[in-house]
Amino acid sequence: MRVVVAEDQALMREGLVLLLEQDGAEVVGRAADAPDLLRKVGAHRPDLVVADIRMPPRNADDGLQAALRIRAEHPETAVLLLSQHVQRSYATELVEQGTVAVGYLLKDRVADVASFLADVHRVAAGGCVLDPEVVATMMARPRRDDLLERLTPRQLEVLSLMAEGRSNRAIAERLTLTTKAVGRHVTHIYETLGLGLAEEDHRRVLAVVRYLSR
Amino acid sequence: MRLRPGGAVLAPALVGIAVALLALAGLEVALLAEGPAGPLWALLLFPAYALLYVGTGLLAWTRRPSNRMGALIVAGGFVWIVAGFLNTGIPALIAVGLIVSTVPLAIVVHLLHAFPSGRLRGRASRLTVFAGYFVVLVLQAPVYLVGQGAEGPTTVLQIADRHDLAHIGEWVQSIAGAAVMVATAAILFDRLRRAEPARRRVLAPLDAYGILAVLFVPIGSIVVENWFPEAGLELAIAQLTVMAGVPVAFVAAALRGGFARTEEVHELGALLNAEEGRPALRAALRQVLGDDSLDLLFRVAAPPRWVDRDGVEVELPGPSSERSVSEVRIGDRLIGAIVYDATLIADDELVAEAARVTALALDNERLTAELLAGRERLRVSRARLVEATDAERRRIARDLHDGLQTRLVLLAMLAGRPAADEETAAALSSGLQEAIVELRELVQGVVPAALTERGLCAAAVDLTDRMPIPVELDLEPLPGELPVGVETAGYFVVSEAFSNVVKHSRAGELRLSISRPNGSLRIEVVDDGVGGAHLGGGLRGLADRIDALSGRLTVESPPGGGTRILAEVPCG
Repeated sequence: MRVVVAEDQALMREGLVLLLEQDGAEVVGRAADAPDLLRKVGAHRPDLVVADIRMPPRNADDGLQAALRIRAEHPETAVLLLSQHVQRSYATELVEQGTVAVGYLLKDRVADVASFLADVHRVAAGGCVLDPEVVATMMARPRRDDLLERLTPRQLEVLSLMAEGRSNRAIAERLTLTTKAVGRHVTHIYETLGLGLAEEDHRRVLAVVRYLSR
Repeated sequence: MRLRPGGAVLAPALVGIAVALLALAGLEVALLAEGPAGPLWALLLFPAYALLYVGTGLLAWTRRPSNRMGALIVAGGFVWIVAGFLNTGIPALIAVGLIVSTVPLAIVVHLLHAFPSGRLRGRASRLTVFAGYFVVLVLQAPVYLVGQGAEGPTTVLQIADRHDLAHIGEWVQSIAGAAVMVATAAILFDRLRRAEPARRRVLAPLDAYGILAVLFVPIGSIVVENWFPEAGLELAIAQLTVMAGVPVAFVAAALRGGFARTEEVHELGALLNAEEGRPALRAALRQVLGDDSLDLLFRVAAPPRWVDRDGVEVELPGPSSERSVSEVRIGDRLIGAIVYDATLIADDELVAEAARVTALALDNERLTAELLAGRERLRVSRARLVEATDAERRRIARDLHDGLQTRLVLLAMLAGRPAADEETAAALSSGLQEAIVELRELVQGVVPAALTERGLCAAAVDLTDRMPIPVELDLEPLPGELPVGVETAGYFVVSEAFSNVVKHSRAGELRLSISRPNGSLRIEVVDDGVGGAHLGGGLRGLADRIDALSGRLTVESPPGGGTRILAEVPCG
């Protein structure tokens, strides 16, 4: 797996590189700002980009803007974004552009190496990963007509994991349920929230995120 | 109609009064000359002293048309003339004279209490003056109904000849009269004792003379009756003379300055427009109006309030205060107020006149006061800003020290333990995770990431995501970037308003709108909660911050009527 790492803080950047290389990835480029990232992606056509959202030159959401361009111009390159603080709008903007091979995680997640590398692989494999905290924020938002109140606590857990981009099988494993039981919960959730059935996992992320962002 | 100094109405009226009273006095003199009673020179003292009253009264009336002292003194003169008819030989006139013969004493009491304003102030004064009139009008009745005139013949009013009853009546009257006199002396003495120096200077001549006069009458009677019974005529003459001295003492007091001269108010304009040696407005007003405690207050805007000459905010004296207030206006605009001692300057109209004459000069001084007030406000708000910044630094330091540092020290101890096993490693890892979360939240509280990365609207949306109640958003896409200071202030307005809603409002609905009218930033947060919020605590700090950006923060929060917080900041 060929990777470009974009992060303006050198220590963090080198840490990420080390982590990915130990995991067997080949880091083909290191970028310290958004234009640099775009240049290196154009030059190396990597399988995966791991980028910080806040980067020079504007030190605003430069990383996100770059990621959106990369997803549009190089669909074969997966993008995993990291940020200091979760923000719902980053997640929604990202998934609105496509739920294939994208991820958005809190930077802190890197500390849990195993779980972080698992997320890296899911994104590289074309999956969609959203940070649990961003999903929790979405779930907790106050709504006028809160259909979520009609779901059981177990179903809410399932919904969160769906929003994080997990497959039925992964959800079943996590919650120690049978895949069939998860399927039933998912169907019930779809009916309760009035969502159109989506077979593919990444499509249903979009549906769920759209619902939660209403 | 108001009588104005030198007005077309007053002067002829006063001339009329003067002529009428002179004629009446002339008639009396003629009748006395023919009458049977006593030595003529003594009898003539009545009309002579009466005319002394009339003269001083008319002088005062002319100078101070709206001060009642003048009229009161003239009335006193009239009563003296009428009382003098007692000594003529015509029964009807004797009867009239007998009825009013003691009234001059009550008028003297009235004059003394009413000085210098012409109005009675205080319950004690009003009661004493009322009692005085009661004694001379009602308690006089037995004398002419059932008795004889003091030394004179039986009157036409007599309904029964009960000399015994008349004697008791006279006795009651003189006791009550003496009580009124002594009470008057006590009140005058107390008033003099408690007066401020400026006022005491005005009151002293008349009050001192008054005390002597009112004590002389009863004491003189007692002394003469007990030890010099044959000196009745001398006593009467002495008492008359002492009473006649009251208006003279009044004139002395007036000349001393308690009695401002109207003409000088008109000179105020010239005085204040002088090129050289122009006195300060307040000093000029004090001099002209004769009140050294007089003060000027100024009305300044934004927010509307009263300030003194140094720009320090002050309260206007209330209606129950000893101080009176005359507002100063230019057109409809309230610009200031003259605060004065109503016991010293009774004539509101005079102060109002001075206010009109000096309005422009006062407006001039008001500008200075406003500038000083603005500077004072700025100083206070700057001090508060610095204080708030320091408090914030202390809070951050405390959070870092109590939370993160302690946590890290504990983790370091854990890591330093020999033979680290799996469990220790897991504890270390989770402890570090918690430390990271804590640090992230701390940083988020200082400068929210969303604000830096995405700007005000995104950060506001981020805040609404964390609210327990739905927020109706009305966010106008903001053209161009906001200055960092404005954006940060705007963010903290939203966050403080939201946190107040959560903590205090018990609101069910909340609306946030952010717009950019005319290039400025406008943030409005409206809830339907219990209201009663005020510009204190966090909001105060925000107001200072907004103020420093030349903006304005307003809080409308009637009890029970929800809260509306509006911030408008120019972005120029």
